[in-house]
Amino acid sequence: MTIKATFTGFAAALALATPALADYPERTIELTIPAGAGGGTDTSARKLALLLEEKLGTSIAVLNVSGGGGSVGASQFMQAAPDGYSLFATWNSPLTTVPQVQDVAYSLDSFTPIASTSETAYTLCVKADFPATTGEEFLAELDANPGKYTYGNDGIGGTMQLAAERIFQAKGIEAVAIPFGGAGETLQNFLGGHVDIYGGSISTVLPYVESGEAKCPLVTSAADVPALEGASGLAALGLADKETLLWRAILGPKGMDPAIVAKLADTIEEAVNDPSYVEFLATKGEVPNVVKGDALGARLHSEFDALAEVSKGLGL
Amino acid sequence: MEKRQDIVTGLLFAGLGIAAAWMATGYKGASGIYPMTLGLILTLLGALVALKAVRSGRNETRALVDAPAQMITASVVAALYVAAVVPFGFFTASFLVMLAMPFALGFRKPLYALIVALAFVALVYLVFSVLLEKPLPREAVLSLMARGG
Amino acid sequence: MEFYTNALTSVLAWGPLGAMIGATLLGVLIGALPGLNPVMAIALLLPLTYSMDPLIALGMVAGIYNGSMYGGAIPAILLRIPGTPASIATTFDGFPMADRGEASKALKIACWSSAIGGIASAIALMTMGPLLARLTLFFGPAEYFWIAIFGMASVGVMVGSDPVKGIMAAVLGLLIGTMGIDNLSGQARFTFGQTWLLGGLDLVVVLVGLYALPPVLQLAEKRDLVGLSSGQLKLKSAPFEKGEIRGLIPTWLRSSGIGILVGILPGAGGNIAAFLSYNAARNASDDPASFGKGNPQGVAAAECGNNADNAASMIPALSLGIPGNVVAALVLSALTIHGLQPGPQLFHQNPILVGGFMMEMLITSVLIFALGGMVATRVFAQFQRLPGVLLVPSILILMCVGVYVINGRMVDLWVMLAAGLAGYFLEKVNVPLAPVILGMILGPMAEQSVRRALLISRGDATELLTRPLSAALAVMTLLVILWPIAKSLQRRRKAKPV
Repeated sequence: MTIKATFTGFAAALALATPALADYPERTIELTIPAGAGGGTDTSARKLALLLEEKLGTSIAVLNVSGGGGSVGASQFMQAAPDGYSLFATWNSPLTTVPQVQDVAYSLDSFTPIASTSETAYTLCVKADFPATTGEEFLAELDANPGKYTYGNDGIGGTMQLAAERIFQAKGIEAVAIPFGGAGETLQNFLGGHVDIYGGSISTVLPYVESGEAKCPLVTSAADVPALEGASGLAALGLADKETLLWRAILGPKGMDPAIVAKLADTIEEAVNDPSYVEFLATKGEVPNVVKGDALGARLHSEFDALAEVSKGLGL
Repeated sequence: MEKRQDIVTGLLFAGLGIAAAWMATGYKGASGIYPMTLGLILTLLGALVALKAVRSGRNETRALVDAPAQMITASVVAALYVAAVVPFGFFTASFLVMLAMPFALGFRKPLYALIVALAFVALVYLVFSVLLEKPLPREAVLSLMARGG
Repeated sequence: MEFYTNALTSVLAWGPLGAMIGATLLGVLIGALPGLNPVMAIALLLPLTYSMDPLIALGMVAGIYNGSMYGGAIPAILLRIPGTPASIATTFDGFPMADRGEASKALKIACWSSAIGGIASAIALMTMGPLLARLTLFFGPAEYFWIAIFGMASVGVMVGSDPVKGIMAAVLGLLIGTMGIDNLSGQARFTFGQTWLLGGLDLVVVLVGLYALPPVLQLAEKRDLVGLSSGQLKLKSAPFEKGEIRGLIPTWLRSSGIGILVGILPGAGGNIAAFLSYNAARNASDDPASFGKGNPQGVAAAECGNNADNAASMIPALSLGIPGNVVAALVLSALTIHGLQPGPQLFHQNPILVGGFMMEMLITSVLIFALGGMVATRVFAQFQRLPGVLLVPSILILMCVGVYVINGRMVDLWVMLAAGLAGYFLEKVNVPLAPVILGMILGPMAEQSVRRALLISRGDATELLTRPLSAALAVMTLLVILWPIAKSLQRRRKAKPV
């Protein structure tokens, strides 16, 4: 630990002497977001960009490149110059989930991990009259009725579906996945009774839990989520190792100057922990979570391997 | 004229339909059925258009292009412009096409064209780069100047 | 009532009012430039709301949104280039009107219709929001499938002289709509190994090419070296004649209703609303043949329909927390930034903010009356003073910059040029272009919802018809297809005895 810290410090000090870092950033940074405007990734990245502009003293231009569940933006970004002026604000799915189901031109090694920013769990919710309330009852009910229940998710082979299937596989449960275009669409079909189970982000369904129309027996994080009182975390069900989260990060193209990476990672950490950003994240049911540099790379790799196993089990 | 055009159009669409249907056979399950059906319908409709044209006695003249020289000039200049956007930078290329296109089409008032070009490119710069902050292909002139200085 | 009077007083301060006026003007400009769309401007604006008075920020959103829906009509009428996908239907009758010298009348009708559609929609949002929102929940995948088919039936009005070619164009559009990753299976279709095609062809890229390049090439062919003189250009004021307004009222009512209904359904947008209202106006008319040849009713129907979609699209967003389109999603995230939780309780959490935003949707619609015509004549018509050969590169540059900034990649420009050349020749051989776009819009909706419906019913296709709402929609679709046929038969029978 200390050796590594000393080394990073040394590398940073060495790099400080080179002009590349001293001047950085001297012009506009282009931030690619692999999703359309208005979604969760887009709004959190744009809000963060405002804080980074202030802290870096440069302007940041945002480019939305949507399509293919994020793979279009990732492939396009991969070709950018690793000079620190092209950054990529993404959620984990295009990196760890999409490559399981699509033939993509990039791999985890096509990027330089800089820092993660925030995370949140997915949840599975049912209508108030569903014959199960706790996480345990819920899984037992699904187990007892294989193929009876439908659950909405964010798209085939998406992180949400894999998060759910990871749990279902561990318990030998069979439920019918109905892919929708996003949490909003899933919510609409859930409230209208077109699907039995809502699967998606917490903040979207939260008002209906508070009004008593829906109840959420399960979240996909190991720990419980304070906002959803009745929901069991996976640890309580003995499935702590099946945790799958939705998290966001900022990356660069392969081969960036480590000194610039370190500077960006520190600035991002500062920005994420800014009280205004923490407050903003709270409105979306997310919490700050900063993992920097190589540790982020390790996190990406381990998630990738775990999800590869799940999707193989699904035959995707 | 009209007859031949319709036959070619019909055959082109039919060919497109066949190609699409053939490609769709490689798609798994439900993802393939729909585009394959569409491809086959397109083939049928294309064939119908061609057949109708063959059987139709009427054959009115219908020019495909009214003024081929200008149409081709404009298309070629447009293509050159798009090709020039990356090497020259967006605003440089736009400024050049504002001068080149009217000239190629026979406009011979260079000063008029120059003023309009400058005003228009400035307007586009204000809207897209200043107001909307959209990144556009970088200007080659700027990097040249940077290297010189 | 108190809810709205309180909101009204806070909206009518200088800040929000100035923001609304400025943003409405900006919105008209954005809508009028092909390729530029309100989403870009609003996405840029919203992060600023954190440090800004939210009513000012939301006022700007409302102005840009409403203004741009009308702005699309200006180039649609003057140049036959739709500024937004929603103004395609406006070109059908708007351009023929302009062609016979009635550009100012067409613009005026577009302006009034947009404003009226917007006002009707805002009133629906203010009075019936939560009620209508609950209605949308009855629409599941099976119902969405029928709505897409219902929309597809309106292809009948745009097929032109040769129905086979029209349907062929629509099928081509449907095929283009299948390109990219299939959301239901992860299968990549027609991507030719190109990663940028995984997201499919962008509707706006194809639209700009297909619709804007042919007029540009035709302008080049005309080789106009002089431009219109200021005398020719002066758009005469075109006062409504006696009875003209009364004649448009039924169209406005019908199109507002359609626009609002389409608006409240998440996922169905202004472009579908415009096509459906245009189709409905034609079916209701005593003289359907005059549509497409410069019938003012056609302009009124299309423009009223696409603006009536706007405020209504906020209904599911505000009352359920389900954003129906990107603008609604952006507004939702702006509200959450201010600590509001979208959903059933939203109206009680911060009545000033929510009520204020609804008021702003209403006021900016009224502003279109005052500002819309002025922008159209003072700014855009002046462009036509330039010699045609200078307009050619100007429009080309606007097309390119607009298309480039969507995804920031050059290949889209080539797609646009290719689509444009294809469009140029297709029109020459009488293959209409509108069905291609309609297919691209409705195809994915139809395919995905029918497959979802079948997944839910475990493959039982009868469920597409046995649910009461989907059965009703299926019958309506059938009626819309049969109505014009029945009408023309009736006319023929009437004509015979003489």
